[in-house]
Amino acid sequence: MNNRLMRSQQEMKWRRIISTFDEQRANLEAELDEFANQHPQGLEIDPDFVQPSYTNVHFHLQPDGYYKDSLAGVRYHYGTKVFFRGDNDKDQLHAKLVQHTPSPADGRVKRVLDLACSVGQSTTALKSKYPDADVWGIDHSAPMLKAAHRRAVMLESDVTFSQRLAEDTGFNDAEFDLVFAFILFHELPKRIIGETVREAARVLRPGGLFVVYDFCDSASMSPLEIYHRDFDARHNGEAYSQDFCDMDLGTLLSESGFGPIDMGMAGGYVKRWFATRAEE
Amino acid sequence: MSIDEHTPEGGVPSAGDHPHYFNDPILDCLTNMVLELAAEVWVNRERMLVFEQLLGEQDLIGAGAVENFKPSEQQQGSLREERDRFIGGIMREIRRLAEQRDDASNS
Repeated sequence: MNNRLMRSQQEMKWRRIISTFDEQRANLEAELDEFANQHPQGLEIDPDFVQPSYTNVHFHLQPDGYYKDSLAGVRYHYGTKVFFRGDNDKDQLHAKLVQHTPSPADGRVKRVLDLACSVGQSTTALKSKYPDADVWGIDHSAPMLKAAHRRAVMLESDVTFSQRLAEDTGFNDAEFDLVFAFILFHELPKRIIGETVREAARVLRPGGLFVVYDFCDSASMSPLEIYHRDFDARHNGEAYSQDFCDMDLGTLLSESGFGPIDMGMAGGYVKRWFATRAEE
Repeated sequence: MSIDEHTPEGGVPSAGDHPHYFNDPILDCLTNMVLELAAEVWVNRERMLVFEQLLGEQDLIGAGAVENFKPSEQQQGSLREERDRFIGGIMREIRRLAEQRDDASNS
């Protein structure tokens, strides 16, 4: 019965969100375009972008997934509002997380990269924490980035959103002081996780910090938590989460040019990895 | 919504569009119907409470005004459409199951 109720509530949530936004589709699409046209400096959409096949998943059962529908970003954002029951309406969760995140040991933070930023809640929180830094949010989904951009303009947060892959960002070597990845890795296949970690190592300068918050490893979960995670994997579009939880991200980080790595639980089943880019 | 059962790059196969959690799928339908009803009832109840509060505060309706209200023909049509939508939401699952069974018996 519990599984039935979880699944049904998730389906009902999306049905209602989608029917409500579909009624306003023309206005919302025009508004997203208007923000993009009036403030082009904060948004880069790649007209030649090739969508990787692994992103074609109905994450959290969101109909059409994260990139196929022009309103995927606003749909996703409202979905999270329901998920957090209104407690994250002002990005409180993201702000708190970013405030508890350390800076590189030397304190230098001039450029920040938020990987797979979705609608940019952690991106704008990072800008608030580092107002003088050049803050970038990247994501594979153009609709997410357009929603992120509209939000940031409305919040008067001077950040840049760009359509790029976390595993192949296209940035120069050692360009960033801080790279941030909030609940990204459990949504990636194993191959892409390895590539993303190596890419983060490449774009961070020596001494820079890679901040990861994600699901904890299977060994740290109770049998009930593993049951819920596995249910989520099959019934809530978390296709890759089991593989991620069975990996040892700490070892992967240390084998990819990071160290020291500060690991620990961050609350609930979320774990933190604060990995310093080792000197060459 | 149509969910691919196989993910593009490994991972765990999805349970698909209409997984059953009870031995008899009719129980899944009934649970969904109850949840749909509960959602509709709560939304209506919440809005009704807000309306009553606002109308009362502004002295816009007197006692018995709702009970004595006579809708126009056009209003009646709108109410009928809304009622059909309401029933459609509640009956969606059981209709889908019936159609699925019809399709299976016709094939």
